[in-house]
Formats: sequence, structure tokens, C-alpha cells
Amino acid sequence: MTERFATGFHPFVLPFLAGMAFVLAVCAVKAAVVVGQLDKADRKKWLLSLIHPNLIIKNAVDIVLDCLIHVKLWKRNRILGLMHSSIAFGWFMIILLGHLEVLVYFPGKLATFYYPIFFDYFVEGGQHTVISKAMDAFLLLVIAGIALAVVKRFWSRLFGMKRTARPTLFNLLGLYSLWAIFPLRLVAEQCARAGNLTVAPWWAYSIALCTFMAVLPFTRYLHIPAEMLLITMRNAGVGITRPHKGMARVQADSCPNCGVCIDACPMNADTANLKNSTVYLTRQLRRGNEPRVREISDKCMLCGKCTSVCQVGVDGPKLRILARAARKYRITPDFSRISSDGYDTYWASGKILYFSGCMSQLTPNIGRSVESILRKSGVRYEWMDRDGGLCCGRPLHTAGRLKEAAALRKKNEEIIRKSGAHTLLVSCPICYREFSESYDLGSTKVAFYSEYFRKMMDKGLFTLEKGDTCYVYHDPCELGRGCGIYDSPRALIGKAAAIAEAPKNRAESVCCGGSLGSLSLDFEHREKITRASLENLYASKADAIATACPLCLATFARYADRPVKDLAQIIDEQIIM
Amino acid sequence: MNGNIVIIGGGIAGMEAAKALLALGHTPILVEASKELGGHVASWHKLFPDMSSAKDIIDRLRADVRGANAFLGTKVISFNRLADGYSLKLSNGIVVNASAVLVSTGFRLFDATRKEEYGYGVYDHVITNSDLEAWFSGKEDPRVPENVGTVGFVHCVGSRDLKACNGQCSKVCCATAIKQAIEIKERFPYAKVYCFYMDLRLFGKKYEDFYVNAQRDYGIQFIRGRVSEVGETIDGGLQVKAEDTLSGKPLKVRLDLLVLMSGIVRNDSIRELSEMAGLETDSDGFLRSVDNEYSVVESNRPGIFFAGSCTGPKTVPETIAEARSAALSIHTYLSGE
Repeated sequence: MTERFATGFHPFVLPFLAGMAFVLAVCAVKAAVVVGQLDKADRKKWLLSLIHPNLIIKNAVDIVLDCLIHVKLWKRNRILGLMHSSIAFGWFMIILLGHLEVLVYFPGKLATFYYPIFFDYFVEGGQHTVISKAMDAFLLLVIAGIALAVVKRFWSRLFGMKRTARPTLFNLLGLYSLWAIFPLRLVAEQCARAGNLTVAPWWAYSIALCTFMAVLPFTRYLHIPAEMLLITMRNAGVGITRPHKGMARVQADSCPNCGVCIDACPMNADTANLKNSTVYLTRQLRRGNEPRVREISDKCMLCGKCTSVCQVGVDGPKLRILARAARKYRITPDFSRISSDGYDTYWASGKILYFSGCMSQLTPNIGRSVESILRKSGVRYEWMDRDGGLCCGRPLHTAGRLKEAAALRKKNEEIIRKSGAHTLLVSCPICYREFSESYDLGSTKVAFYSEYFRKMMDKGLFTLEKGDTCYVYHDPCELGRGCGIYDSPRALIGKAAAIAEAPKNRAESVCCGGSLGSLSLDFEHREKITRASLENLYASKADAIATACPLCLATFARYADRPVKDLAQIIDEQIIM
Repeated sequence: MNGNIVIIGGGIAGMEAAKALLALGHTPILVEASKELGGHVASWHKLFPDMSSAKDIIDRLRADVRGANAFLGTKVISFNRLADGYSLKLSNGIVVNASAVLVSTGFRLFDATRKEEYGYGVYDHVITNSDLEAWFSGKEDPRVPENVGTVGFVHCVGSRDLKACNGQCSKVCCATAIKQAIEIKERFPYAKVYCFYMDLRLFGKKYEDFYVNAQRDYGIQFIRGRVSEVGETIDGGLQVKAEDTLSGKPLKVRLDLLVLMSGIVRNDSIRELSEMAGLETDSDGFLRSVDNEYSVVESNRPGIFFAGSCTGPKTVPETIAEARSAALSIHTYLSGE
């Protein structure tokens, strides 16, 4: 193996070098900016994590699994996983082996940066080594991946995707230059190996690389470097605290625009909402298009399904809540008149304190059934908001009125801490999420009724008789994806009745459409979402629908062609005295 | 062409049409799904605005249609088009070839349990307008207390309410609520009666007088605002939260009895029938007339006619007038051929 040219240089490497310098500089600046935008504590946490041995290993493993192999994508859609890992892992291996090749045979040329990229032009007879053979195999793998990408670009339905994100002009430029890089490399290498040293294919190859790198910071391909930063920040425990900056910006930049969230989004039962999926939120956040960011943020029901299917873990609901929080209001609610003076100290000492929530005032069956179950089981309780009470604060929280929500929480905290109750029992998942995530109740534990009733049943405080009805259980968003509770409602219903599963269930459950999360979705559009959600439940062929949320209950009951019942009603009906 | 006429639905529309057709020399066949002729009016106590007895009208109509063939407890199970009419298969096995068909299937009262916030079927003292009529007619009802101190009427339960999937006005409930409120006052002169309404639509002859009397002579209070929620008090009474939208204030009232004015919604059988017979339904889900001004009793199919609430909520006199009109249209249709 010998070098062909003493100079070891040709002008066609210049576009590549320029592109490389540009992309590295932009990425470095961008990274410095977002790190600078982090809260002081978060920044310290992140910097320390970079030298923590366990976290270094974790970061490396996550980067290999997520960015190169695309494990999450494999789990969701095998053919998409194959396509992405062929390209990403194949390309990575070509780069790695290319450098190894230069390191082994011409270590002095490593500093040129371009030698590994244009190896076969500068070196004669390099194709016979094991490294080169491996690189050829990886190049073919990448080209196979590109072939899949071409098919997906024009016939995405073959890949199980009904809808994909609409590419922008820059994205298309990035896409086509990416497709061009590898076939051009193949042609250039084969020509050089055959002794044809025409520089045209090498120029084309270098220009394709240059184009791709020049547009990368302005396209979805920014996710390639951004996701690596995101992984290290997430592993360091950095959270989203500011609407467009810091971690929020990293998440927006990490969105690969794959469009998996479009098919998942329950709002897209109505095609008018297609442009409100999270993929478009991240795109508008990057563009700084505030009116559209506001519109997309307000529309969303915050069901969290986009996050549960997202390959890089973009937290759609959180980004939206913070975008909403940036809004200014002229009127601020005043909670100063509310006080806990009306309650005696330890007014529920040694008892359960039951909080049914505002929504349950509209679905009185739930509260009555919970009360009946507690009474039949001989559990001592007080019903905190029997005649109406304070809001838990969740609606204010999701509307982005974070300060007001905190003020309201404080009032509830006072009353609950004063009660001396050992457990706060909650039958509304919307309230439960707020209580479990954002409250500090001291020694009072928060329990969702399905979890608590399951424990009561296991202890033998009540027994259920199995009825004939077959229920399909609908996972409420705030309970399932929101709090990770999937099993206890099923365990209870399973003892009281036959149970069937809908095709999309658990983390894939379809929002009922009644969500308080949306600020701007009107009634007509919600109806379409509800009907689509019901169709998913009907597919289970169950006789009746069970849920564990007063809002899902009221929403489904409006349009359902079969009975809809709350978990508490089902338990209360089947309890054996 | 055999001249057979089938009337589907034996409420006041079907019976009045049968009576008119008998007088015109036809022998119609009445098909009624329940065990008795009479429909909703048969279970009503008194009719507004003259407070005449519903039973008298029904008794008279039943006597008048004795000459018609009536199949009770019978449904139409298939409906086929023939060259010059229709072939109807009934659930009792009989197949009738008809030259003309009158659809008078009426309506259904909104299922008040679907508005769970009002507590029908949950709380002990919440009833509907039809429960109250039954109680007026002498049927015992434990939900109505011995001595009624305060009563509330909620107008528009399941009508003009998109959340209940019924956008249309039920037309008769405003006057019915006033009638029932007056009847309550006549039985319990010291009771306080509140009517919670969003609009009062008192369009018919003497309805306005009825409304003025209710306020002036009976002291019934009308509150403009929807009831938002109903709760139960510890002593078993009801607590109603509403907003008085005229004074702009929220209010809480304690009641002994709450009456829900369930609205008129389309009959479930309409969908099946319209599919079998190729009839069109309107945007409100009721059957669709050729037009809603001039040809209300005519359908999009030759030889099929409509009368009464199958095309939308109607009052008793409107239904009667439509039934007579439909009978005459059928007569003209049959003699024309």
C-alpha cells in the first residue's frame, strides 16, 4: 500500500473541510449557549455528571443504543429501526474504521482530517486490508438503509406510517445531500481502485458532504449532535425550567422530525389538527415563530401520548405548559380570603381524608360509590369536599399559571396538613397527579383510590363477586401515562367482572377528548376525538366501558352506545357484604 | 294497487290519522309497538293551556279508531319496495302489501341519567316531567315527599344541549313546566316553586297568559340560569347550585323535590326505519320532510307520509292538525292513482 501523491492534497477536499469547520463551530456555539441558559444548579449538576464514572458509562451506553442502534425505534417499528440503524451505525463505523485505517497505515496523515474520508484517492492498493473490507460492508449497509429511506420518503404507508412530517426546503436539501453522499463515495472509490483517478466523483462526494454539513444546523439533522447533549443532560437530571431556553431548546433541537407523534396524537382524529402535533411545536420553537408556538401549545390536550412514543424523549406537554406560562394576564385570581380557620386541628386525625375533586361534583355517582365502599369496609374517613371544596390546582398548572396554581396548592396543603389524616384518598387522576407531583403534605400519604382499594381487597376488607358484564378499561391519560398506574384498576375490575382489552391500551391509550389540558379546542372538534377514542374501546367487543376518571366518564357517557361506569361504581355494585 | 294503508305508530298522530282515513272510507292498519294505543299522551295527566284531561282525548280517539285493524305489541321488521307500493313484514309474522304508509312513530323522552350532574337515579328526590305526570295521575312515587316545601324545575334537560347530543328545542317543555308548577301549587299551596330556565319560549295561543298567571296568581319564581350541579344534604334534601344570570349572582337553593324537564329526542327506531324504507333523516336526526314549510307531511319516497313528532318536536294541536293533513294527502294520493 502506497501513497499516490507526495503532496497528499487536492483542492476537492476543501468543500469537505469548510463544511466540517462550519458545522463544528455552529454546534459548539449552540451547545455553549444552551449550557449557559441552564439554571446555575443544573449547570453544575451537568458539568459534574461529565466526570462521574457511572454517568460516563451510562451516557456512552445510551448514546450507542439510542443514537446509533435506535433501540427504541426498533421496538416501535422494526423497518424504521432497521433503516435508521443501518444509516447511523453504518456511517459511524465507516468514520471510525476510516480513522483506524489511517492511524494504522499512515499515522502522520491523521491530522489532515480529510485522509480517512478520501482514503482511496490518496492511497493505492488500500482496498485489500481487513479494515477496508469491513468499511465496504458498512458502506453497502448504509446504501441499503438509504434505499429504504427513499422508499419511505415516497411510500411511507409501506412502513406503517399513515402520516409523516412535511419537510421544509432545508430539510429536503439535507435529505437529498445525505442520500447522495454514499453512492458518490462508492463510485469514487471504485473508480480510484480501478486506477481511474478522475476527480469529478471526488468533487461531487466532497460537495455532497459539504452541503449536508452546511445545512445541518438548520434542519432536523441537528438532532444528531443535539440528542447526544440531551442524553447527557437527562442523565444528569437536568429538567425543563424555561420555555424556550436551556433544556427546552435542547429537546426542540433533538426532535428528528420522524413524525411518529403525528399518527399517535389523538387530536388528529380531526385532520384540522395535523399541524398541532409535537413535531411542529419543536419546529416552530426552533424558528422562534411565537404566534404558532402559542397556537400549538394552547390546542394540545396534554395527554402525553407524543412523549410516550417519542424516540428521543421530547416532553411535549411540559414544553407546552412552559410556553403557556410565558403569557401575561391582566387579572390574577386572589386566594387570600380562603383559609383553613373553619377546620379544627386534627379534624380527620387517624382517618382517611377523601378528596373527590371538582369534576366529581358533576358525576355524583363516583363520590357516593367511594363512600359506600369505605363504609362497607369499615374504614373511617372524612370527605373533604363533599359540599364542594378547593380546586387541586391542576387546571391552573396546565394552563401555565404556575404561580396561581402554587398559591392554590398552599391553601389545600394547609387544610390537609391540619387534618392529621394518615392518607389522602383521591378518586380523580387529574387531582391525583397534582397531589403526587406538586404537593408537600408532610406525613399525610397520597393514594389513588384504585391503589388503595386494591390494598384493602388484598387485606380482605371487602370481597368482590364476579359479575357477568364484560368491561373494557380505558386508561385515563393523567393516570396511565401521567402517573404510571395501569394495573390496580384492572386487578379490581378483573375480580368484579370479565375484562377485555382495547387494541390501543395502557401507554398507548387514546385520550377521551374531554381533557382540561386544551385551552382552545372547541366542542365540535372534541366530539371527533371522543368518537375515535370510543371506536378503539368498541373494538374490544366489551358490553360496557370502565374508567377511573370523572372527566373520561362524563365525556364518554355523552356519546357512548353502551354503559360507561367508574371503577368505584363497579366495585360498589359487586361488593359482597 | 290494493289501497291498503299502514300506519306505523299508534299515538295521537297515528290514531287521529286513522280516524280521518276511516271517515274518508279507508280501512287503515295500525301497527303499534307497545301493548296499547295512545303513546306519550296516554301517560300524561293534563294538557296545557286549558288543563283538559289527556285521558278524555285518548279515550275518545281509541273509540274512534275501533273500525281500523290494530296490531298491538307489533313492530315492522322489514320494508320492501314494490312496483306500486310497499311490502311490510311485521314481527307477528304477517306480511302486508300497502299502497301508502304513514310514519307516526313519535319521539322518546331524553334519558335524564345521562345528565349525571342533575342526580337523576342518584339522589332520592330527583324526578322527571313524566314521573311527575304519573304521580299526578295517581301513581305512587316514593321520591315525591308527603309534604313538599320547595320544588325546583329544570328546563331544557337534554334539549338545546350539544353536550347531550340534542341541539334542537323540545318546544313543549316550557309550557309543560309552567303547567306542572301550577299543578304543584294547586296541591301544595304553601310550596315555594322555582323554575330554572335559559329561555322561555311561550309561542302558542294562551301560553303567555299561562306564564303571567303562574307568576301573578301562583307566585312561581322564574330564575334565568342553568343549574350547574345538584348535591344531597345530610337530612336527605337537595342542594342546587345555579347562577341567576339576570342579577349575575351565583345562588344555592335547598329543595325537597327537583323535577327535570326531559326534552324530546328522536325515537331510536327512526334510524332502522329510515334505513329499511330509504327515508332521509334531517340534520337534527329526525325524519326529513320534503320541505319544512309547505310539505311537512310528505317524505322523499312516493306513498310514504309523516305525521307528528317523527319529524321533530310538536305540540298536541300541531300533531293533530298534521295527522289530519297527512290523512287527506294519503286519500288524494290513492285517488290520484
